[in-house]
Amino acid sequence: MSTATEHKVEDIASATGGKRVIIRSLGMKKIYRRGEEITHALRGVDVEIYTGEFIVVMGPSGSGKSTFFNMIGALDSPSEGRVFIDEVDVAQLTAEELAFLRCRKIGYIFQSYNLIQYMTALENVTTPMAFGGVTPDEARRRGMDLLELVGLKDRWFHRPIEMSGGQQQRVAIARALANEPSILLCDEPTANLDHRTGDEILEILQKLNKERGVTIICATHDHRMMNICDRLMWIRDGGIERIAQRDEVEVELGSIE
Amino acid sequence: MKKIDVQNQPVLSPGRIIQIAVTGVKYRLFRAVVTVAVIIVAMAFLMNILTESLIKRAIADSVREQIEDLHRVDRWIARLTMPQSGEELLFVLAEEEAPSPVLGEISTMSGLSIDALQALRPKAQEAVRYLNFFNEIDFGRRRVLVGPVQGVATFDRLSADPAWHQFTSNLADMRVLRFPEELSDFQDFLAEWSELQAKLETIREGQQRSIEQVRNAIGDRSLMSALSDADGDFGDIIRQAGFSLPDETAALLVRDVRRVKNTQLIESTINIAEVRQAVAAERDVLPGDVTMRMIWRLLRNQDRAEWFLGVMRDAELETGDLTAERLEAIANQRAYARLLTIAEQQTMEAQGGLMGIGMRMTWLAFVSMLVCAVGIANAMLMSVTERFREIATLKCLGALDAFIMSIFLIEAGLLGFVGGLGGAIAGLLLAGLRMAVIFQSLLWTAFPWQDILVAGLISIGIGVLLAAISAVYPSFRAARLAPMEAMRIE
Ligand SMILES: Nc1ncnc2c1ncn2[C@@H]1O[C@H](COP(=O)(O)OP(=O)(O)OP(=O)(O)O)[C@@H](O)[C@H]1O
Ligand SMILES: [Mg+2]
Repeated sequence: MSTATEHKVEDIASATGGKRVIIRSLGMKKIYRRGEEITHALRGVDVEIYTGEFIVVMGPSGSGKSTFFNMIGALDSPSEGRVFIDEVDVAQLTAEELAFLRCRKIGYIFQSYNLIQYMTALENVTTPMAFGGVTPDEARRRGMDLLELVGLKDRWFHRPIEMSGGQQQRVAIARALANEPSILLCDEPTANLDHRTGDEILEILQKLNKERGVTIICATHDHRMMNICDRLMWIRDGGIERIAQRDEVEVELGSIE
Repeated sequence: MKKIDVQNQPVLSPGRIIQIAVTGVKYRLFRAVVTVAVIIVAMAFLMNILTESLIKRAIADSVREQIEDLHRVDRWIARLTMPQSGEELLFVLAEEEAPSPVLGEISTMSGLSIDALQALRPKAQEAVRYLNFFNEIDFGRRRVLVGPVQGVATFDRLSADPAWHQFTSNLADMRVLRFPEELSDFQDFLAEWSELQAKLETIREGQQRSIEQVRNAIGDRSLMSALSDADGDFGDIIRQAGFSLPDETAALLVRDVRRVKNTQLIESTINIAEVRQAVAAERDVLPGDVTMRMIWRLLRNQDRAEWFLGVMRDAELETGDLTAERLEAIANQRAYARLLTIAEQQTMEAQGGLMGIGMRMTWLAFVSMLVCAVGIANAMLMSVTERFREIATLKCLGALDAFIMSIFLIEAGLLGFVGGLGGAIAGLLLAGLRMAVIFQSLLWTAFPWQDILVAGLISIGIGVLLAAISAVYPSFRAARLAPMEAMRIE
């Protein structure tokens, strides 16, 4: 990387009060082609997310939240623009490095859970650990702890089809935490949960964020999230509509109410 | 710039990979069963062809001599009636190497020395190659090339200039047809053909002289009844005439002639009203419906044979030294000879090609392999493509491409193995059953266990290989994509 860019990075760092950028996107675009039909899911997104931050992404359905997630989570390549994770250009990583990144650095909670259908809850949770080189016994112990955390300890042997949507979502959350990631990407993590379980999950997320300094990026329609996040980001039609600190928004909401 | 340290990203142990693959297979048991069924059918087809062909070849090998024996009497009658044709002589001269009784016999009859006959060998071999070429091309082509002649007459004809001209120019027009030798060699051969032909003629004349000699000695007896004395005076006459007739052959000839005569006697009984009526009463059918088959069937039981002998005597037939045991033995021998005849017909083309199963069967096996390959590829393709989502998820969780490929390879290998094994067993059973019906007792005398084991291993190997190959490509494609791209493929 050229020194010019490094200067720029430092400029930004100083401008944001010394906070370290963990994810950065530059002119990130995503175009889906399906035959003749072209969808601009993202139209040039520039964003910086800081280490240890809890950021909530909001936006109407179809606005491009999930697409944004896939890009900054190194799960898909942008049609244009670049993504940096830990100041490393994702496009330059080898297949092994990407696997390592996805396995150890980032935890994903998918909107549609994406559990492996033929594995039990416990196996689903321990699979990323196996990829990360954790011994089976250790993986089993940690997997059970994680399932206990999300309240599914006594259902560890159930397959996804034998569980409710909310239970599956909780397995997905436990799986995302398997390798103690430093970034957690959550796509609507409380969408299918009742109020109380949702609160529990929020508490877990908050604890991870505050105690372990995990960076959390969370797409949601859940207004409770606003109470625990640091920043809010609105996406509309594939572009960032607005980014604001929580206190600013609270002031607004207060004034509206 | 900070680089990502991937040193401690481990490769999963083979045991763990197999475990994950097997869990996957168990979960999709129905799909797996369908895939295995496709492989079983495909491999059973291949194994069936291989097994049948191998059995046929083994039986052909084992009964060849017995079939020769079956025709011993016919062969000797032919030898004692007519000199060999030029073509037959060429095959003999090309084949035989001194010292050989056949060459000795030809030498005695023709007055040519063994050395002289041996000297003809290279020329005869060359002639055989040309003859084989003309015998193998189809009738229409042969007609265009050499006209209506056959055998050594082809050489006579081509020795003349206009015919040679017609041959070469027409041959040049037939692009698909290739003359196996140099045309100039053939021309040289034809130039010397009359010499070789004169030698053949000498041999034929010698044979003719010997035949005359034997015929004069027989007088007005039939050749067949003369042959029943082949181990006595008549044998000496034959030997004096120059034929080589070892004592064992003479004894066998006498035995065979006796059997042929007995058989003829038994077969003549069907035309005798008393016998027909007796058999009809015994079998509870109308006399008009009595067949030879029925009588032979009766004779294969000793008590019935005894009874039949009585019937023959009552009809005042010349039964001679016939006994019930002999009747039964003849009937059994005849049944066996029929089996041999069937075997001869069935195994006619069992030579050459893959594992010696014949060109036609090799071609069939090859085509069936193609069909299998398409079927298996389709089944595996389906079972991989419907799992792109799973592949994508595993990649999101940090799976290496190699891990994903190995899961699918193991699964494919497993299905291929089970399918190949099932197919091999099914194909073997089917082929065994069919062959048992055709060859009956002959089957077990020449069951080619070893070859069939090899064929089974080949089938299993091909099953595994085809399944693996057809799983590699789609899983490789999916594994290489970014996870979300793979997830989008449906
Ligand atoms: N595979 C695809 N092919 C074509 N278009 C796609 C594809 N995936 C998403 N899109 C389009 O891209 C746009 C953004 O989709 P995205 O899934 O990111 O929305 P979202 O904000 O996550 O919506 P939701 O809140 O409903 O989950 C949508 O208009 C969608 O139709
Ligand atoms: Mg979404």
